[in-house]
Amino acid sequence: MIASIPANGHIAIPELTAVPPSAAVTDAALIAAAIAGKESAFRELFRRHTPHLLQFVARVLGRSGMDAEDVVQDTWLRAYPALVTFRNESSFSTWLCSVGLRAALDSMRRGKRHDAGELFDEETHFTPPPAEDRLDMESAIGRLAPGYRMVLILHDVEGFTHEEIAMQLGIAPGTSKAQLFKARRVMRALLTGKEKT
Amino acid sequence: MTHDENEIELTPEERMMLAALPREVPHGDLLEERVVRALRSEGYFGVSPRARNRAVGIALRVAAAVALFAGGVATGRFLMVPSEAQTASGSAPSTIRASDTSRPASSSSIPVKRRETVVAEREMWL
Repeated sequence: MIASIPANGHIAIPELTAVPPSAAVTDAALIAAAIAGKESAFRELFRRHTPHLLQFVARVLGRSGMDAEDVVQDTWLRAYPALVTFRNESSFSTWLCSVGLRAALDSMRRGKRHDAGELFDEETHFTPPPAEDRLDMESAIGRLAPGYRMVLILHDVEGFTHEEIAMQLGIAPGTSKAQLFKARRVMRALLTGKEKT
Repeated sequence: MTHDENEIELTPEERMMLAALPREVPHGDLLEERVVRALRSEGYFGVSPRARNRAVGIALRVAAAVALFAGGVATGRFLMVPSEAQTASGSAPSTIRASDTSRPASSSSIPVKRRETVVAEREMWL
């Protein structure tokens, strides 16, 4: 986009002081400083990425009763020692969410004593709500079974591919596709109040 | 499951609803402090002042224990090993002898009674 030049010929230059100093520092620089043990760099990294991580984790946990902040803490405790393995092949936010996803999965398995993979085997039987009680999207996602919910969030909200989801969750790409199909069908029923669309 | 079922598509309305979902939620300062404290307790971000004070305290105690031990060993050696003159004359321990240096008398001039007292004291120490 080309900015239009005002009639008086003076171009308004935004004040540099308005830009927060932290915004100029890249994630890579912060990560390097945090690895070197600089606490302030870690804090900046934390403040920059935790809002998204917390939202992601809370959504993945749904109504499981697990505390999203506990899982976020666990995520950072896992992520900090593993920062040296981050290679900038994906965005730091995506990498952090994958760590958060594993922490959330572990938390749910501990809480409900699920075996590995059990989350993705269960078939959900539900009664759709009456048409007058249609749910909004957030509530509908929260009511999905854990396996459906995770795949739907990763694919439709976070934009992961089926191959990436399969790698993250330790399932086959075909399983991811099947789960997404079922998740979308249930979600649609919850949104519209009709069992079949 | 058929191919078509795998290809289920979202409606434009559903896509809009998904896109409108919030991507971030604010977190409290307490969470940040919790995480930083937990990382510190696992030994990251350098040594905490409390841990440093504890380490200094332990180092001082170890140094004091070593000094006491070394002093005890030195004192014991000083008391136990008789000097050549003492060996030759079979006289009292060096401490006694040292305390007697102000006296002009030689070791052979120590009265027999006092020498017996010194020997008895030495045996008591052993």
